[in-house]
Amino acid sequence: MKEVLAQHIDLFLIVVYLLAIFLFGVLFREYVTSTEDYFLAGRALPWWVIGMSIIGTNIGAYDYVGAAGGAYRFGIAQANYEWLGAIPAMIVSALIIIPYYWKNKVYTVPEYLGKRYKEGVRVIEAVIYGLFLVMLLGIFFWASGIMLHTYLGWSIGFSIVITAIVVGFYTISGGLAAVAITDVVQLGIMFVGGFAVAGVGFAKAGGVAKFFQALKASHPQHLKVFLPLNNPAYPWLGMILGLGLVLSPAWWCANQSIIQRALGARSQWDARAGMMFAAFPKTLIPLLVVLPGFFALMFAPSGAINNPDQALPWVVKNFLPPGIRGLVFVAFIAALHSSVDSTLNSAATLWTKDIYQKYIKKDGSDRHYLIMGRILTFAFIVFGVAFAPFTQKFPGIYVAMQTLLSFFQGPTLATLLLGVLWWRSTGWGGFWGLSLGVVIAVVLSAAGVNFLYVAWWSFVASLLINVVVSYLTPPEPPEKLRGLVYGFLEKDQEFKRAVEERLNG
Amino acid sequence: MGEFLRSIPLFWAKVLSISLYLLLALWVITRPREFIYRGAPDRKGWRDLRWWAMLLIGIQIFLYLIF
Repeated sequence: MKEVLAQHIDLFLIVVYLLAIFLFGVLFREYVTSTEDYFLAGRALPWWVIGMSIIGTNIGAYDYVGAAGGAYRFGIAQANYEWLGAIPAMIVSALIIIPYYWKNKVYTVPEYLGKRYKEGVRVIEAVIYGLFLVMLLGIFFWASGIMLHTYLGWSIGFSIVITAIVVGFYTISGGLAAVAITDVVQLGIMFVGGFAVAGVGFAKAGGVAKFFQALKASHPQHLKVFLPLNNPAYPWLGMILGLGLVLSPAWWCANQSIIQRALGARSQWDARAGMMFAAFPKTLIPLLVVLPGFFALMFAPSGAINNPDQALPWVVKNFLPPGIRGLVFVAFIAALHSSVDSTLNSAATLWTKDIYQKYIKKDGSDRHYLIMGRILTFAFIVFGVAFAPFTQKFPGIYVAMQTLLSFFQGPTLATLLLGVLWWRSTGWGGFWGLSLGVVIAVVLSAAGVNFLYVAWWSFVASLLINVVVSYLTPPEPPEKLRGLVYGFLEKDQEFKRAVEERLNG
Repeated sequence: MGEFLRSIPLFWAKVLSISLYLLLALWVITRPREFIYRGAPDRKGWRDLRWWAMLLIGIQIFLYLIF
């Protein structure tokens, strides 16, 4: 009787959540009348919405499962992905990169690169990111189907369709504003669920101090943030060079899904403060993803967990009381939805602005592009649903996605950094640095190099190619670079003369 | 090279990461006030993003010291 009641509570929580999220789409529909409303929330987002939406987008259900598994196997080193692998890059993004996107009023990262370098760079970046985002949707839909099937017993196909309808409805009708506001709610649910798990776990262990004492005694390596170089997943040098200096800055400075929220800010300060604010909840994410891995390690009976990725499902199924279990499950769904909606909106923005408007129909009205944005969002939902079942054919898909990311994250970061920081970097320098960098990354990966080092070396190679080609080609005219390059005004002789003349009266 | 890297104690990984955080803090604190407040509706102290960044970096250094 108690178990049946608990199941009803869980189901009730899920239905309430789905209905509430659906209503957001209805509420936001009337505010969307232009492409700026649809893709950038009318450039009206305040810093706290941007910050929470960024983290809601960043944390997916896959991260929950994968990170808890990583913590179960390797310990607190998993938290590097949330700390060293995020916070410094978020600060740099807020203080250096975002102002350049924001003041150039761009819709997408490739659009900025196109303005700074040449159209070829924009096309390469847009196609790579556009394809990546669309593929990601299929994986997210499949993950959603698996979760609903596992916990509620719904068929996978039905679960995928329900997710597509709910997320698709509010994303198509409300655009970025609906996506950002639902992200805020979803992040709140994730943290409530995470704190509930932490509370139950620590209570079971007899307190926080006792828990960590026991963990230190039984698994001392699990409380070491850096692991030796021979560790297969998290070698310390790879974590610092590959993750800290390349993958993380590339993610936080050049990922369309992340940056798009800042582009929708109501002011430049809000755009930067939003990214900076996001770093605070990001610091706490290990509470949500690492602690469940530790609880599984300490409380699961020997042999209960054969695969580290089962750590979190084990905690949810065997560890949490009814009610809390439903809450945590809603948190998973929220994490998944917040990633699906952002990916959908960003993919539609990239394809509409960088491909359709630029190369297919250049002279359409704003209303035409708004309709096209919605049509593309719908098309991506259909594609994602159709592609989702193929995900099961690739057992290592999560690792495959990380590998795929490492193909272009290093070259993208090198191109972006030189574009923003070095006035001498030319259009051809950016073009060859980006394209050859991607080729080098693919070759390194095919040679079996760890993806962290692939990211690092492709970044270094792309940087060098960009510098060499830039010196071999004529510099860009100053009028092209104004407002696009850090400190360029100080190097602009024309501007300098104008300032001096003004000072001399 | 690989042999040399493997011989470095893990303690130096910590030193390296904390040094990176300290360098970042130094860079942040030297950003001009004018730049930090650009686009802000007022100049209230809490809007100074340098302090937000310093707090974040402080928390990070603390975490990397204890783990």
